[in-house]
Amino acid sequence: MMGRGSTRVARRSSASFDEDTLSRPQVTRYFCVRVRVSWCRRMSVPDEVVVQRILAGEAELFRILVRRYREEFARYAASLCGDADVAADAMQEAFIRAFDALDSCREPARFKAWFFRILTNQCHNARRGLGVRGRLDDIVVTAADRADAGVSDEELREAIDAALGQLTPEQREAFVLKHVDGRSYAEIADLLGVGEDALKMRVHRARDALKKLLEPWS
Amino acid sequence: MSEREGYSQEVQRFLDEEPDAQLTERARVDAERFREALARYASSLPVPGRELDAAVMSVVGARPLGGVRGLVRWLFRPRPVLLRPVLIAAGLVATTALGWWLGQQGGSPPVPGALIAEAPTVLVRFELRAPEAVQVALSGSFTGWDSEGVALSKNAQTGVWSVTVPLPLGEHEYSFVIDGQRWIPDPKAHAQVDDGFGQTNSVIVVGPRGVVRS
Repeated sequence: MMGRGSTRVARRSSASFDEDTLSRPQVTRYFCVRVRVSWCRRMSVPDEVVVQRILAGEAELFRILVRRYREEFARYAASLCGDADVAADAMQEAFIRAFDALDSCREPARFKAWFFRILTNQCHNARRGLGVRGRLDDIVVTAADRADAGVSDEELREAIDAALGQLTPEQREAFVLKHVDGRSYAEIADLLGVGEDALKMRVHRARDALKKLLEPWS
Repeated sequence: MSEREGYSQEVQRFLDEEPDAQLTERARVDAERFREALARYASSLPVPGRELDAAVMSVVGARPLGGVRGLVRWLFRPRPVLLRPVLIAAGLVATTALGWWLGQQGGSPPVPGALIAEAPTVLVRFELRAPEAVQVALSGSFTGWDSEGVALSKNAQTGVWSVTVPLPLGEHEYSFVIDGQRWIPDPKAHAQVDDGFGQTNSVIVVGPRGVVRS
């Protein structure tokens, strides 16, 4: 990784810690050329370590978990809530609740699944607060009427959001994780704590419900 | 919803990414249309940026971690504090002034240092009826026989002078000093002793539960 040991001068930088490795970037000098080498040893710190250090008093490290799962679950939250702004609020509230209850996360290594449950509940609550935003039939007719001219992404999103609103919360969770996040059934089963056969059943029913919506584009 | 209204088993298996899924041409069109629509849908969903990170951290950074242990850690965690020197000085002045003022508010009259004996002590009240006297003092072994002693207060109606002093446990001799010149023993004392110089002193014995004998 770092050859030419006789000319190597590695030292700690004064820069802030790396959010993935929890270390400060290292700088190596090769023939008077300073090279930042932290990239070649990058390896994300497990959630378990981050959680333990947060509980030990380094609350600012919670930012790592926020960034990590904000990106991973953003589309899931948006799809589950059916509204981008509501989803952002739900995510923020879920992170704050997770921080407040971090002491009760009994398996820090499974922080992801634990947080996922908090986020899911928050999204369902937010969606209930949002009320019914549009009837599926109206949106399907609109899409069919404009089939010749093509359907915009926004119209498609509204239509699928409305269709997802017709599903049960369990079907919606499984469908979004499968077809919006693109996860495998094994991963979904781990997140939801449900067997794969039951998950497939939920996803199949959700697909069938969406089939009618997609017919206008045939 | 009935089975006929939904996708065929072959399409479902194909979308489930089953390795042996076989599709007719019609079924493949259905499956691809479904995939395309969902891909467009997923890519159209907005992803919040770092502003969400900042919003979360601005909230959680100012509060203790959850649970009792988190609260304890937060309470005991050292953190930098910014102080203006002028405010520190003002605080010291205010604290000193408050201490001085509280000291001035103490209601009891000052007691000679000689009388502030080591614990345990017992409060003993001395009385002498002397309506004609101008001033009366209490002097004894516990004051070092100082002629100024401890001044007694006069009740103008009864002509009785009195004072209460803390005395250490044990036996003490004392006398009253009238008008700073005349030494007389306590007429109510049960014991009187000769002082060896032609005068008589009164004797008081103080026990843990009060005056044993005077």
